[in-house]
Amino acid sequence: MQGDGRFLTFGLFLVFILITLGITVWARVNTRDADDFYAGGRGFSGPQNGLALAGDYMSAASFLGIAGIIALSGYDGFLYSIGFLVAWLLTLLLVELMRNAGRFTMADVLSYRARRQPMVRTAAAISTVTVSVFYLLAQMVGAGALVSLLLGIHPGETFMGLSAGAAKVLTIIVVGLMMVFYVTYGGMKGTTWVQIIKAVLLMTGTVVLTLLVLGRFGFNVSDMLGAAAEASGRSADFLQPGLKYGREIEGDPLRTLINKLDFISLAVALVLGTAGLPHIVSRFFTVPDARTARTSVNWAIGLVGVFYLMTLALGFGATAVVGQKAIAAQDPAGNTAALQLAHALGEFAGGPIGGDILLAFIGAVAFATILAVVSGLVLASSTSLAHDYFGHVLMLGRPRESQEVAVARFAAFLVGALAVVLAVVVRNLNVAFLVALAFAMAASANLPAIVLSLFWRRFNSAGVVAGIYGGLIGSLVLMALSPVVSGKIDPVTGASLSLLPAGVDFHLFPLENPGLVSIPFGFLCAVAGTLLSSEKADQERYDELSVRSLTGTGSHRAAHRRPGKRK
Amino acid sequence: MAGEPRMSAVPGGEFTALAQDRRFHLLRTRFRRLAVTIVASFLGWYFLYIALSAFARDFMARPAFGHINMALLLGVLQFVSTFVLAWRYTRYARRMLDPLSAQLRDEAARRQVEREHVEQVMAERRRIENWTRG
Repeated sequence: MQGDGRFLTFGLFLVFILITLGITVWARVNTRDADDFYAGGRGFSGPQNGLALAGDYMSAASFLGIAGIIALSGYDGFLYSIGFLVAWLLTLLLVELMRNAGRFTMADVLSYRARRQPMVRTAAAISTVTVSVFYLLAQMVGAGALVSLLLGIHPGETFMGLSAGAAKVLTIIVVGLMMVFYVTYGGMKGTTWVQIIKAVLLMTGTVVLTLLVLGRFGFNVSDMLGAAAEASGRSADFLQPGLKYGREIEGDPLRTLINKLDFISLAVALVLGTAGLPHIVSRFFTVPDARTARTSVNWAIGLVGVFYLMTLALGFGATAVVGQKAIAAQDPAGNTAALQLAHALGEFAGGPIGGDILLAFIGAVAFATILAVVSGLVLASSTSLAHDYFGHVLMLGRPRESQEVAVARFAAFLVGALAVVLAVVVRNLNVAFLVALAFAMAASANLPAIVLSLFWRRFNSAGVVAGIYGGLIGSLVLMALSPVVSGKIDPVTGASLSLLPAGVDFHLFPLENPGLVSIPFGFLCAVAGTLLSSEKADQERYDELSVRSLTGTGSHRAAHRRPGKRK
Repeated sequence: MAGEPRMSAVPGGEFTALAQDRRFHLLRTRFRRLAVTIVASFLGWYFLYIALSAFARDFMARPAFGHINMALLLGVLQFVSTFVLAWRYTRYARRMLDPLSAQLRDEAARRQVEREHVEQVMAERRRIENWTRG
């Protein structure tokens, strides 16, 4: 990552930014009402929305992160890939019902049959914003670190007058400005096109890398795995589960059991979280009808599946071609493995220039990935704040749509500013755990409310609210008391592996991911809240929701073909 | 949706009628059976795989062919099963759910158009009556 390659990387960043800015301005011209701003006019086709769903979902954490975990810890990184994909089956089952029942947000579905609308809307908005901001924070801190790595600025060095520390802060601010601009200007239309471009770039980059790396091993996967296992110095162990997650500690059966439960907890959160992620849910409404929504999820499953399968080639390929020592020297977490692999493969194919070009391309892809994902998150939270909280709680459902959209733009600015400030504050902390935590929160708070709203006749407002707050607070408290926040010490060096420095230790909950406890707790709260409250469920509205969600009768269509448009 | 739902495109009575419809019950039963089958099979298979990864390391370490061991083979099979289940769901939905839901939706829309037509005629009649009376 030295020499003139960084200028090429920088140049490609600028090209991506200019193209997406152009699209955003185009989208601004074509955004007229709330349907356009929140749902892209409901005019996207199945394949388009499928690409955008995949674009929203495949974050830099999965592209660079999983490749890095596989490169350094072997097989265990692949478990993320599997969980991230399998989760989409749950989404496939829910997408049509939610598309038919809702209008712009998850809260539309949850409040459909709830008697106490403001309570339910408030809870849903709080949950949406919390999950989004946590996820956002992980992405933005990652972006700061990534860009300084991409531009090859090491501590003590400068690039265009910037030190590594200053570059990090500047990157976070630039990413923040960009995402706010995409959202406030482009709304769902602009953001969707940014996602589509990003998904195409990411798939292209990954396919190129995969073909090049497999080509080096004569397209023999077994040979590549063998070479990776040998290069790792751990032989066959490298290709088996257990180096990173669920580690077996000899002579300590309790610790071993805790490690294994922690691994299962992560697996549960990954598979149940996706269907409740706000930026995924808000994408259900950008298509004309439920069948198109189903098609788009099928496209997403295909794309996401192929992508995560290729993480095997990226990760194991990086170990075999680059070597773990070189990867760990760049970044101890391995986030640069895919980039170093690109450089090595490019060099192998086209000399030093080839190396620089491929590295610059993959670097720009990673940057595009981050920008696209954060915009999706900002859009989801500002939509929920404006439509759910401002529109239906503060204004009791009576604001003009243009007012709501103006508030959404302002909310995007607020959420963006909050995320930038938080990200700058925690920029030097290890916040990678926040991604898995966001999945756990989405599964604990949102999933119970969604599933029970759609399928349980007795479910009521008190149940929705209890489920959301129970799942949200449960997972936050468990996280605060877990080893990711305090008390995890490196046994060799004695340095802290937690958020807080060594010496502070108030951890009571042994697992790093709260999912295993917080998801059942969320469901339990939702059921208990329903049964303990004296509120009677609205049977007529439940029938209406069932009919509407299954048949699409009365669902929100694209503006030009919506039958009987409301006054 | 607060404020607006009570005046959705199709009046409440229409939904209640549809909810009683025998075909709607069939649709709901089919969807629920399908959903339960798919959730049970993919979650069961996924957690079996997770449990094997956590507790049956020796089994997962067994070579399948070349350097590809059981863990990798089963992991890739998770991908295959996801694709197959998505495809099965879509095929079943196209054959067994979509025709039913389209039928119910179209009938409701037709009734809606009829009702609007009747309302229009009534309004016109009232207008003429008022005019002749005045």
